[in-house]
Amino acid sequence: MIFDIVQRSLSSSKVLIPVEELLANSHGSRMPDVYAQALTATIAQRAVDSCSASALTIEQDGGRSILSLDYGKCTGCGHCIEAGEGAFFHAESVPCGVGRQALVRRWDVDRGVEVLLDQAAMTDAAREIRAIVGGALNIRQVDGGSCNGCEAEIGALTNPYYDLERFGIHFVASPKHADMLLVTGPVTRNMADAVKKTYEATPSPKLVVAVGACGCSGGIFAKSPAVAGSVDSVIPVDAYIPGCPPTPAMLLTGILQTLRHK
Amino acid sequence: MRANLTPRETESSVEAVLRLLESGKARLVSIFAAADDSGAARVRYIADVNREYRIIGVPVTGALQSATPVSPAAAWYERELHDRYGIEIDGHPDLRPLVSHLADYRFLEAQGVGVCELPVGPIHAGIIEPGHFRFSIVGDTVLHLEPRLFYTYKGTEKLFEGDTLANGVMLAESVSGDNCFSHAVAFSQSVENAFGISVPPRGRSIRLLGLELERMVAHIADLGALCGDVGCAVPAVYTARIKESLLQASACCFGTRFWRGIAIPGGVRRDLSAENARAFGHAVADATADFADIARIALDTPSVLNRFEATGVLGNKIARDLGVVGPAARASGVRIDVRRDHPYGHYRNIAVEIPHFPLGDVLARAHQRIEETRVSARLIQETLHDLSAGIVRTPVPCDGSAEGFSAVESPRGELLYWIRIRDGKIARCHIKSPSFQNWPSLPFAVHGNITADFPLINKSFNLSYSGCDR
Repeated sequence: MIFDIVQRSLSSSKVLIPVEELLANSHGSRMPDVYAQALTATIAQRAVDSCSASALTIEQDGGRSILSLDYGKCTGCGHCIEAGEGAFFHAESVPCGVGRQALVRRWDVDRGVEVLLDQAAMTDAAREIRAIVGGALNIRQVDGGSCNGCEAEIGALTNPYYDLERFGIHFVASPKHADMLLVTGPVTRNMADAVKKTYEATPSPKLVVAVGACGCSGGIFAKSPAVAGSVDSVIPVDAYIPGCPPTPAMLLTGILQTLRHK
Repeated sequence: MRANLTPRETESSVEAVLRLLESGKARLVSIFAAADDSGAARVRYIADVNREYRIIGVPVTGALQSATPVSPAAAWYERELHDRYGIEIDGHPDLRPLVSHLADYRFLEAQGVGVCELPVGPIHAGIIEPGHFRFSIVGDTVLHLEPRLFYTYKGTEKLFEGDTLANGVMLAESVSGDNCFSHAVAFSQSVENAFGISVPPRGRSIRLLGLELERMVAHIADLGALCGDVGCAVPAVYTARIKESLLQASACCFGTRFWRGIAIPGGVRRDLSAENARAFGHAVADATADFADIARIALDTPSVLNRFEATGVLGNKIARDLGVVGPAARASGVRIDVRRDHPYGHYRNIAVEIPHFPLGDVLARAHQRIEETRVSARLIQETLHDLSAGIVRTPVPCDGSAEGFSAVESPRGELLYWIRIRDGKIARCHIKSPSFQNWPSLPFAVHGNITADFPLINKSFNLSYSGCDR
C-alpha cells in the first residue's frame, strides 16, 4: 500500500495556486461589478428592480442619483447582469476582509463615475495580534446557523490547491486556542447563545470575521423570525467577507486582509 | 413508464392512512400541514405505494391520531406538526419539542450502575454544522444517543410564502448549501409539474450533469472524510484534491463552483458550449479514474478496514421502519432510488444502475459511495455524448395558480418539494429533506459502538443539519 501511495505522490502534478493568483480574485463568485460609464438612470433602475437580495439601491444625494451596491447582501444571483445591458458584469475583485462600510460601493449614475471612500484604518486588535503571532494565526470556525455552503468553501482552504497552512494559518478545535473566529450566518435564534459563549471563551486579543451574505447582513434570511440576524447583531465583528458562498480565494484574501498581511 | 408528475390528491381519513401504512405496502414519504384556500387546516400524507407517489389530504378537526405506532418513520413529522402548527397528536409516544428550543427539554435518561452522560455540541471541533448529541455511556460503549437538532432552524418554509418563483429558487439553494443544485431542481420541477410545463431536452440534460456532479462531489468528499476520521490522511487529502478539481471545472464551464444560479423553473439559465462540454467531460473522466484508484488504495489498507468493518450497523428492518432513504438505505439493502422508481427529467431516457450492499456498516456505506460515484460519472459521460441541441429553457407563467410536487434523488436521498402557487406567488412550500428522514436512524447505528467511533459513523451517514432543520 505504501508503495502505491509513494508512486502516486511522485506521479501527481503540483496543484498549489500561487498566492498572487488568489489575492483579490473573485472569479467564480458570480458577484457583479459596474461599468460606471455605461450607467444610465433607466439601466440602474432596471438593475435595482431585478435585484432579489435588495443589495442594489438608488438614493438621491443633493440632486445626484447614487447607485449603491452592498456586497454584504449580494447573493450573486446574476439578475442585475442579465437586466443591466452590459453595464453590469462579473466582478474580477470584490472587497474582502474589510469593514462593513467598505462592502458598499457607490456610483454617480448621471456622471458615470464611482464615488470613492477613504480606506478604513487597521484595528487595534489586528495590530496587536500581528505583533504577537506575526502571520501565524489560529482560526476557530463557527457555524452560526448557515446553510453549510460557506462551510464547504472554508473546508476547501486546507486542500492542496489553497493550502492555508503555507501562511502559518490553521484551524483549531477550541475557541480557547483561537486568535480569530470565522463566523458564518445568519445567526439563528437557536444558535445566538452558543455564538456569544464561543466569543466569550476566546481569549483577547481576538478578531471576528463575518463570512458570507448571511453572516454580513442576514442575507436572504434576514427577515425570518427564527433568525437573530447578521453576526454583528450578536457579537462585535472586525471584518467582513461577502459572497454566497465566498470562494476560497475570497476567504483567503479576507483572512489575510484582516491581518493586513502581504 | 412512470412519470414523476403531480399525483392527484385524494381526500381521506386518518384511519385510512393508518391502514395503508400498516399494510406494509406503503413507504411513508412525508407528512406536512398546509391550510386550504379557505384557511381550513389540512394535513397531507405522502406515501410511496409500489413506486407511485400518493398524496392523501386529511382535514384537521381536533386531535389527529398518530401514525407513529404503525410507522415509526412518522415520529419527527408529527412532532414538527405539533411544534410548528400546534396540531394535537393522539397516541404519539414522544411529543417533546423538536424544532423549538424555547420550551423545557428533558433528555431521555439511561439508568443503571456506571451510566454516565456525555454532552457534545452544539458547536463541534471541526468545520461542520451545529447540533447537540447527548450520549449515555457505560465505559466506552454507547448505550443511547439522543440528537438534539434544529439549531440552524431558519423558518425557511415560511420565508417562501409571498415570494416570487425566481426568488424561491434562491431560497431552495440555501436550504442545504452542499446539495444546492438538487434543491433548486426539485423546487423548479415542482413548479413545472404544477403548471404542466416541460423543460426542453437540452435543459433536462444539463440538469442531469449538475445533479450527478453534485453526487460525485459529495461522495468523493465523504470517502475522504471517513479516511480522515480513522487517521488515514493520504486518501483524505487526495479526495479533497479531486473534489476541488471538479468544483473548478464547474466554475470554468458553468461559472459557478456549486451550480448555484443555474436551475430555474422552466429549465436552466446557462447553456454549455461544445468546447466547455469537452473540457467538462475530461475533468470528470480524470477525477473518476483518480478517485477509483485512491478508493482502492484506501480500502486495501488493513487499519482502515479494521475501523470500517462491522462499525455502525444500521439493520435492514430498522432502515425500512424509519423510512431511511438514499445511500444509507441502499447500504442497508433497501433498494430505493427516485431516479429509477420515479424517473424525472433526463432520467426518463437513460438507464440508472442502482448499486446496493446488504450489511449496513460503515464499510457498506463507503462501498456504496464509491460505486455510486462510478455510476454518476458514467451517467455524465453518456449524457455529454448524446447532448441534444436546442434551447435550454421554456417560459413559465408569472401569474398562475396551481399546486405541484416533485422529488429528486439528491446525494443524500429522496428530496421532495410540494408547492402551492397563488397568482404567481408562492403560497406554501414544503420540503421533505432526506436528512430529516434519516437523522432518527443514526442512534440505532451508534448503539453498542464505542464513543470514539461516533464521528466515523456520523460521517458515514453525512446528514445535513441545515437541510434537516430548514
